[in-house]
Amino acid sequence: MTQPANSTKSSELARIAAEAAGTHFSSVEFTLTHSAANGSLPASLADPDKDPNAWPTDFCHFSAAGLSVSTSTWPSAMSAFSGRVQVGLVGQEERGETYTYTGHAVPNPGFLNQSTRKVEVIITLGTAHWSPTYREALMQALIIERLTGLAAERDVPVLHLHAPVAPVPQTTRSERGDGSNERLRDAIGPCLRFSVGVDPAMSGTRLDFETELAALAEEYGFGLKLDDQRLNRVRGEWFTIRGFDRERHRQARNRLFPEAPPQTPRRAVIATVVGPSRAGTTAAAVGALRSRGIGVLAASISSMRKTTFINLVLPVAADVPGTLPQWSGGWLDALPRLGECTGHRLDEAGPSGESPIADWKVAISPAMRCSYPPSSQQTGATITGRVPYPIWLWWQLPHRTVDTPALLAEAQAALRPHTRRCEIAYAQSRLCRGDVVRGRAKLIVMLSQEHRDHAAVQRLLTDATEAAQLRIRERLPALGCVDPSKVRLRLSPRERWLTYAGISA
Amino acid sequence: MTVHIRGHSTVADRAGDGPLDHLRTMIGALPVPTSPLTFPSREAALGLALMDLSFRLDHLPRLSEHLTLMDRGHMSRTISVDVDLDVISGRLRDTLQVPGDAMPGGRASLWVPVSRYSRRDLAPVVIRDSNGDVVPRLSHRDANRVTAAAFVKLLFMLINAHEDVSAPGSPIHQLRHTHQRSRWLVEAAITELVMVGSPAGQRLHTPLDHAELPAPRASGGGSRAVRDLALEGLDALFPADGRGQPVPFARLLQLAVRQYILVAQLGLDRPRRFLTWEAPLLPAQHRPAPLQTLAKNVLPINREFVVEYETEIPRSVKAYHLTLEVRQEISVRRFLMSSDVDEEFVEVLAQDLESVARRVDRLGGHHKLLELEMQGIASRLAELGRRRLVDLAAYEAYLARLPIPVGPGSAPPSRRLTADEVLAALSAGDCSLDVLAAFCAHYAADGMQHLARSPLAGPALLAVAAGLRAAQVGRDVTTDNDPREHGAHANWRRPSADLSPQSTEPVRVFAFMALADEAPALIESITRMVAGLAMMVLAIGTLLSGGLAWLYSPDVAEDFAPEQADAVVAVLLLVPGLLLARLDLPSTKSVLGQLHKFQRTLAAASVVVTTALAIAVGTVHSDREMTRLFQLALAVLIVILICCLCEFSARRRHRSSSVPRSARVPRWLRDARGAKRRNAEPDDFFDARGEV
Repeated sequence: MTQPANSTKSSELARIAAEAAGTHFSSVEFTLTHSAANGSLPASLADPDKDPNAWPTDFCHFSAAGLSVSTSTWPSAMSAFSGRVQVGLVGQEERGETYTYTGHAVPNPGFLNQSTRKVEVIITLGTAHWSPTYREALMQALIIERLTGLAAERDVPVLHLHAPVAPVPQTTRSERGDGSNERLRDAIGPCLRFSVGVDPAMSGTRLDFETELAALAEEYGFGLKLDDQRLNRVRGEWFTIRGFDRERHRQARNRLFPEAPPQTPRRAVIATVVGPSRAGTTAAAVGALRSRGIGVLAASISSMRKTTFINLVLPVAADVPGTLPQWSGGWLDALPRLGECTGHRLDEAGPSGESPIADWKVAISPAMRCSYPPSSQQTGATITGRVPYPIWLWWQLPHRTVDTPALLAEAQAALRPHTRRCEIAYAQSRLCRGDVVRGRAKLIVMLSQEHRDHAAVQRLLTDATEAAQLRIRERLPALGCVDPSKVRLRLSPRERWLTYAGISA
Repeated sequence: MTVHIRGHSTVADRAGDGPLDHLRTMIGALPVPTSPLTFPSREAALGLALMDLSFRLDHLPRLSEHLTLMDRGHMSRTISVDVDLDVISGRLRDTLQVPGDAMPGGRASLWVPVSRYSRRDLAPVVIRDSNGDVVPRLSHRDANRVTAAAFVKLLFMLINAHEDVSAPGSPIHQLRHTHQRSRWLVEAAITELVMVGSPAGQRLHTPLDHAELPAPRASGGGSRAVRDLALEGLDALFPADGRGQPVPFARLLQLAVRQYILVAQLGLDRPRRFLTWEAPLLPAQHRPAPLQTLAKNVLPINREFVVEYETEIPRSVKAYHLTLEVRQEISVRRFLMSSDVDEEFVEVLAQDLESVARRVDRLGGHHKLLELEMQGIASRLAELGRRRLVDLAAYEAYLARLPIPVGPGSAPPSRRLTADEVLAALSAGDCSLDVLAAFCAHYAADGMQHLARSPLAGPALLAVAAGLRAAQVGRDVTTDNDPREHGAHANWRRPSADLSPQSTEPVRVFAFMALADEAPALIESITRMVAGLAMMVLAIGTLLSGGLAWLYSPDVAEDFAPEQADAVVAVLLLVPGLLLARLDLPSTKSVLGQLHKFQRTLAAASVVVTTALAIAVGTVHSDREMTRLFQLALAVLIVILICCLCEFSARRRHRSSSVPRSARVPRWLRDARGAKRRNAEPDDFFDARGEV
């Protein structure tokens, strides 16, 4: 019997090393932007006159609670530096409360996750509209810690983690399988979505992971959906394992965090923890914060070019006076500073030198005001019609033509005639095989025409996305001298409709 | 793809041939360097880029191999590839750019790996493009140097990113910062290994084999400590995983020391190119089966000359053409290609089945989780059934369009199964094609929606896993589509949806070719000749005795012994000689010679009979003895004639055989056609697989 995944992993290692080696040095350069403006995008970094090697290859944007984080990375031509990561503030825009950092990291070429089988999970932590309290933030931190801990125990890498995300409506049996008649999704809800990569040859590990996940769901009462693993099912199709148990979840939350105030945080800081990718880092970071009484309001974790970015929105206690200034430095030094968010200056837990992220770096924004979506479908806001709806975007473009912020800005502009508001909730793009950049984004739109009728809204959304898709496609060649035949772009109100045929082209 | 090995070299982990064992041996044998081994960073980047591209070869959308059977025992191969430079990413392209002047066309050019082949093959390779111009190649020495630079760089990157690198006292930290000589030693050992190479199956010879070294001193020191730290560092960097699989770095190193990369210089002015080259001549791997060979040569069975060919193609190749050409006198009776493109998928599915079977109690506590797993398994089983059914239909069509079509024969009639019957059959481990096809139909018709409660969810899954592996459903089948009789062509296309999309494991392709002497065949001429000789003996006997009574009557006619014997002798000697000369008997070395071995024996035997009779006519004068000798000669000729007829019927049987009797033909195909006969060893087996 041939050993499956064996040569596959070797060639993946060769690919990573070849890309990292570049022409001179093997580090990754990144820029990081913390911003208070909800849905705002960083300026495009790509400059055609600049060195073509400085085009960002990977991009990640995430916004929640009125705060946003963007990261761009690319293989760097910078010479060696001390340590594993370095990060420093380069600019601050007074007007928009935007803080930009730049840094370098040593990627970990041994972190092989391309050849793995992806297991994606949606966790439901509530059915009301998203405005978490301090207690819920702590509960969310605990759940993130436990979930990522399950993965870390098995040496399984976390591929991504996002919270909050769009909840998946329960489909009833009578609805059509193609999803044309399914209920529209809320743009955002108290849900968490994460995925891990498991070696396909280790099905036992995967099953154990899933079983323990289900046991955890039972213990804490959260709803659990796994991605539909059937063949020909695409991303965005889910299989419900457990429904959300409101009473059990409330009891667990009150039992575990009786002290935490049941108010919604008004201020928050963004903390970005950066370092070479390894298994078990998220659990370590969130665990250290939770042990200091810090919950997690929103989170976005992703690995780009073998460097992991853990972006956390942490609530600031109401009784903490003044503004906490922005800061960047080592993880162990950051912990006491983050402890100030809760108002406890004392470092109770004490840093452990054994932490797998001891040599990582952190960038912390100052405390900024946060806001929550005004309404949602499930709270009855349909009566006013002012409901934010999610729209998904998938694209594939040749590298070094149009960079992701420019494309997203174009998407926003294309949707503007149909919408009153259009924000980017998250966006991620990567450089893939064949020198193409592939990306995915979720936009939150509020339609300019108000409608109570479900079918009418569906029609409006579909028309808007089709028109916008056409417009973006028309504009792209002018924007980046891109060959129109190489553009793949889909904009759809349903996530599962994004996929192009012939994946293995 | 273009690698061949001689002798059986299953590269399973034999003792001392583990991927890192050679490196360890080399660390023990080399003198400890006193200065770092520095490679230009450009070379390291080039080496890594070449290594990366040569493993995937995803810039080769099409690959063709043209096989020519030179004689029995040698096969020549011409390999053609389409190269698409646009697929190579911009960053890699910058790295691969050939430094110095641009090509005469004015545009820059790239070093592009087009193949990997075994270090044993030292035959020169000349690559030509579509105009017939020779394409420059990177020399092996340069390719080895940049590969060594790549490994040194990769090692450094892995050390730098290791979590212990900042933990003082750990071997990794020492290698990186305080005890660099050990790292230089590892680097020197890697360089030496890559430069010298070590083909699979060979033991690494080092000076240590010839020296009795004194026991290490207790105080340590000297080169010993440096070597120990180097080995310790290797263990820390590449801990063995529990499943005994080599770590990716070790695997890369193993491939680099076993294979060469064939690198061509291609101009960027024409990003799409067609390249062709003659691969080193492929010798057959003879399988000693003396009894079988003897039986084939002696017994009156019509032989096919069976050739089997095995190779490996990159998984990213979209189309693969295999063409075969033989001499015009030989016909290609069957040509069949089978690849293991879905084998990895089936193996993962089987492992999933076994894992679920072992955990069914735990999973049962979360009913929906078990249902999800079962549905996932069902969807994959259904897809396999659908794919293999398409293959079977193509195979049936191939049999029907043969010059002499083959009917259903002993194929079992297709059954129509209900959902319960399908589940029962699967539970019993029956993964035959009709069961899988019926499963596919029921799955598509929503008949398999509650599998967690079905009898399948449980230990029955183990039987399904075993059944899947036994039926070899991961192998597909491609058939000949060349209308010529002395040539064959099969076109394999990558499935539209790749079932193991992340894999870069090469696809193994196996081709079965049955060569035969079809009508107008030599055996027909020989039969006519033997019949003619028998008639001649009969006629002479009848003339001498004056009637046909001599054939059966115990009485002996007077004057049977001719007075003028010379005329009879002349007829008996000349006629067979003339007839034999008209037969075009091939040399025994050729394939045709092998096919005709028995028939030649028959022809020679018939001539021996008539010659012996001629001698007898000249020397014997007794009527009685002469009669008996004529009777005997006629009887022997009739026996030879019967042998010829046996040959005809054996040939008919072979021609109507529906599935080749080869162990490499997938089991599901043999089961679907009801082939019960034992597998036979091929006459020639050519192995062009990489030593992977």
